[in-house]
Amino acid sequence: MTTASTAVQASENPGGPSASAAAARQVTKAYGSGETRVTALDAVDVDIQRGRFTAIMGPSGSGKSTLMHCLAGLDTVSEGRIWIGDTEITGLRDKQLTRLRRDKIGFIFQAFNLLPTLNALENITLPMDIAGRKADPAWLQQVVETVGLADRLKHRPTQLSGGQQQRVAVARALAARPEIIFGDEPTGNLDSRSGAEVLTFLRRSVDELAQTIVMVTHDPVAASYADRVLFLADGVIVDEMHGPTADSVLERMRRFDGKRTS
Amino acid sequence: MLLKTSLRSLLAHKGRMVLSLIAIVLSVAFVSGTLVFSDTATSTFDKLFASTASDVQVSPAPPKGGNAADTGGKTLTVPATTLAQLTAQPGVKSAEGSVSVQSATLVNPKTNKAVGPTGGAPTIVGAWVPGPHPAMTVTSGSAPSGPRQMMIDADTAKHANLHLGDPIRIIGDQGTFDFTISGIATFTGTNPGAALAFTDVPTAQQDLLGSTGGYTSIDLYGDGSKTDDQLKAEVGAVVGSDYQAKTAAEQKADNQKGIGSFLDFMKYVMLGFAGISLLVGAFLIINTFSMLVAQRTREIGLLRALGGSRKQVNRSVLIEALLLGVIGSTLGMAAGLGIALLLIQLMKLAGMNLSTSLDISASVPIASYLVGIVITVLAAWIPARRAGKVSPMAALSDHGTPSEGASNKIRMALGLLVTLGGGALLAAGATAKQLAAGGSDLGLGLVLTLIGFVILGPLLAGVVIRLLGAVLPALFGPAGRLAQRNALRNPRRTGATAAALMIGLALVTGASVVTNSMVSSTSAQIDKSVGADYIITVNHGGLTAPMIAAAKGTAGLAHVTEQRELPATFTLPGGKSVDQLVSAVSPTFAQDFSLPVSSGSVNGLAAGGITVDANFAKDNSLKVGDRIGIDYGKGRTQSLPIALVTSTGNQIFDRHFFATIDTVDQAVPADQQPTDVVVFGKAAAGADVEKTLTALQDSLNAYPQVSVQDQAGYKKLVQKSVDTLLYLVYGLLGLAIMVAVLGVVNTLALSVVERTREIGLLRAIGLSRRQLRRMIRLESVVIALFGAILGTGLGLSWGITTQRVLRNSGLNVLSVPVGTIVVVLLLSAVVGLLAALLPAFRAARMNVLAAIASG
Ligand SMILES: Nc1ncnc2c1ncn2[C@@H]1O[C@H](COP(=O)(O)OP(=O)(O)O)[C@@H](O)[C@H]1O
Ligand SMILES: [Mg+2]
Repeated sequence: MTTASTAVQASENPGGPSASAAAARQVTKAYGSGETRVTALDAVDVDIQRGRFTAIMGPSGSGKSTLMHCLAGLDTVSEGRIWIGDTEITGLRDKQLTRLRRDKIGFIFQAFNLLPTLNALENITLPMDIAGRKADPAWLQQVVETVGLADRLKHRPTQLSGGQQQRVAVARALAARPEIIFGDEPTGNLDSRSGAEVLTFLRRSVDELAQTIVMVTHDPVAASYADRVLFLADGVIVDEMHGPTADSVLERMRRFDGKRTS
Repeated sequence: MLLKTSLRSLLAHKGRMVLSLIAIVLSVAFVSGTLVFSDTATSTFDKLFASTASDVQVSPAPPKGGNAADTGGKTLTVPATTLAQLTAQPGVKSAEGSVSVQSATLVNPKTNKAVGPTGGAPTIVGAWVPGPHPAMTVTSGSAPSGPRQMMIDADTAKHANLHLGDPIRIIGDQGTFDFTISGIATFTGTNPGAALAFTDVPTAQQDLLGSTGGYTSIDLYGDGSKTDDQLKAEVGAVVGSDYQAKTAAEQKADNQKGIGSFLDFMKYVMLGFAGISLLVGAFLIINTFSMLVAQRTREIGLLRALGGSRKQVNRSVLIEALLLGVIGSTLGMAAGLGIALLLIQLMKLAGMNLSTSLDISASVPIASYLVGIVITVLAAWIPARRAGKVSPMAALSDHGTPSEGASNKIRMALGLLVTLGGGALLAAGATAKQLAAGGSDLGLGLVLTLIGFVILGPLLAGVVIRLLGAVLPALFGPAGRLAQRNALRNPRRTGATAAALMIGLALVTGASVVTNSMVSSTSAQIDKSVGADYIITVNHGGLTAPMIAAAKGTAGLAHVTEQRELPATFTLPGGKSVDQLVSAVSPTFAQDFSLPVSSGSVNGLAAGGITVDANFAKDNSLKVGDRIGIDYGKGRTQSLPIALVTSTGNQIFDRHFFATIDTVDQAVPADQQPTDVVVFGKAAAGADVEKTLTALQDSLNAYPQVSVQDQAGYKKLVQKSVDTLLYLVYGLLGLAIMVAVLGVVNTLALSVVERTREIGLLRAIGLSRRQLRRMIRLESVVIALFGAILGTGLGLSWGITTQRVLRNSGLNVLSVPVGTIVVVLLLSAVVGLLAALLPAFRAARMNVLAAIASG
């Protein structure tokens, strides 16, 4: 079990300046009670390193989305503690959590990322608008160019293809310069070419813009864009891999499936 | 199969149907409540009249051109000899002479205040003649006997806090008389709301009619050998044409008419409420079904892809509406019974005791189901058609909402056509020379502009909300921008939601422009033409000779000008005859009023001429010098030359025919003339106008039913009389707003459900609950303001046109109540805020994750 040791190694006290953009300690999440109780996360410890691209992999129902939602402050945990940067978010109230999501976190969902009533540019600047902040024009320009949307800014979401919509979502997540971006299967609904485009942008934003990204996926090819892959099974982190390739991830998954079925 | 799908769908969406259901229930409840109430009231009175009417009643025939009681005329009587004659008539078992008048005022001497109803129901003073089946029985004390005893009804006693032994006073045409209360009588059945007071027969004859030996009517009871109709025919032959005989059935019908006009008024007000809630309810239903269809587009597309026909889809939506209509009508009918009971209680407060065992005729369920079902199915028709048009491709598309663009051109063309047509009619009405033509233009223009606005609503929403919304992002930041976009995203829905409010506000704005103009016009007319300082009016009965004498004796008063109205039949030079009132005035009338002269001269009045207004002159080709034959009835006639044609536009003179009292005296002896309806006073030169007013009021202090006003006070009185009308309008406004709020709540609630995922997304990326609530509130306010702006715009055009149409009929001054309109607009914003309360609360409470995951 190399995973557990690396995770605990990071820091017993992730508060204070550390390398972690987000951290979880002994996080348990259970749904329901009594006989119908489902433990979606079971005492998970995670550290997300700053400026890196982390993928969370695992079979369907393994708790990937749950972990992401808990890390992002969208869901409450049953037990354990979570930090975003220096801030412990477990125990925060809705108002503070909302502000935290607004100021420090970016989101890319699998589908329905954009408000149909706003055009692409307005969608991109929405988090900053909500916060009452002005977008940094130079940065905005850079982000828009990075994701290749300069000529689509006045378009409404319905006038954009699925891939373009996801790129707008990526741009929105990047534009506010959040401490961390969470993506839940951001390429899950896209064909492989559009998916590759979006993943390339995510990769570039880590390399060129030093963005921290956590991405949930069940696609080994998508995971291969990451610096590090965490493997989740039955609510427990069972392994991790650095510098993954599609083949190595696929290989790991197969082993893992084999182990499960055996 | 279809029924099952529809039923299942209805149950699945029951939450979304709630407000539509409420609207149906509300409208149907008003309809059924009104019907049950009027059925119950009618049957209560039927029973009362059937049990108390005599078999045949003989009374003096009313004079020509009207009813003696209406004009404050002299009370006509049947002589005692006729009573004796009729008692001896074959087939008559007994005959009772009775005395009762409505012109006397009942006064409590302790407080010097009038007792009994102030408006509507009459005060009836008469002789206590119980007859074989009396409507009242003596429940305490004893029946009145002798010249100083009086019995009053229990309800009046209770309201005025009068008891046995208390003093009571009547002021009538014959003078003022004091009595002691000897008894209290209670209705055996229903009290129709009148105040009643009784003395014995000789006292009533003496004090009310001025001489013994006469009766106001004679009640005959048959011995059973003849039918009422036979008896009536025989009696009629005996008494001659100066008197009339009426059977029990005819009396009942007469009484019914008196009560009926009041009940009818109630009925129309209630049906007005029902109409408004129906109209607004229809928009609610359209919206609900439109949204359901929009939400189910993919589902419907799938159904179509699997081979469902257009018709089947269409029908499944209509069946759903039908089910909703049936449920709504049933609940509404039941709720209507509650409304009927409430109305009966309300009537009780007003002094009318109706039976509380409700009378439910077959018309109640028929009308309830008809109204509820027809409206629901009609309103669902458009969305159902749209559902039928959903293509099987919709099942495959991601954003599966039906497009709105296609029919917009047709809508624009049709809406513009209807609106412009209506506008042209309004313009034509405003400039029409003829009142009748202007009126019909106005009516049609009103309807067309309303329909046009409803059609154009969705398109106007785009324009108006873009303008309104332009300030929102600047004022309210991102919540403002989101709200503006949301209000714009479905113009048809916004239009239909706002239409409900628009209709209500258009009606109210129009009515308030008209009433405001009415007050201003009257004030202006008074300023322009009334030179008198004081106006003496009477609340009940007429202004009798002792009152005039008391007024005349006031120090500081130069003179008084009397005005009395005599019903007469005019014979015009062409041979045409019309019934009109002659206004007999003192010669000083010409000093107290500046008569608007079209042709002729004011001097001709004193010289024995009569005035006609310009319209009357024109319609009948009359000119100064033409003679009009005037028949006051009973052989009293005279022929008067037209001295003056008054120009129109002033209600004080329009449709009035003035002659001096001296002129009228020549045909009608002074003691046969009715009492004055109004008296004007003029302060003497050098007298203090204020002090004289107080002195005049003091002189008339003994007559609490008389009020003395200076010009300012009189204008206030006019204002007050218009206020009653305004309150009714405001009542309608209240209801319209209430239902419009329901509409806005409905739309917002459904929109919130529809936009669950969006709301989840917004919350995930950091929109706070407070910002979310603000977004929904602003959307609501924008919709409400949009409706209000259209409504006030429409109402203003209606009101102004109405004033233009009536500019020569007394409404010559246009007065737009700017304050009221501003208040109404502000109120609409508040309405928007209120309507958003619940939907905003629900949206803010949504679980972010569940919202994102939904759909
Ligand atoms: N709202 C919920 N209520 C009950 N169980 C849930 C809920 N959300 C997720 N689960 C359960 O938790 C487990 C993990 O779910 P999830 O995190 O969505 O898995 P993944 O994203 O890896 O497919 C699953 O067994 C799932 O059934
Ligand atoms: Mg998942």
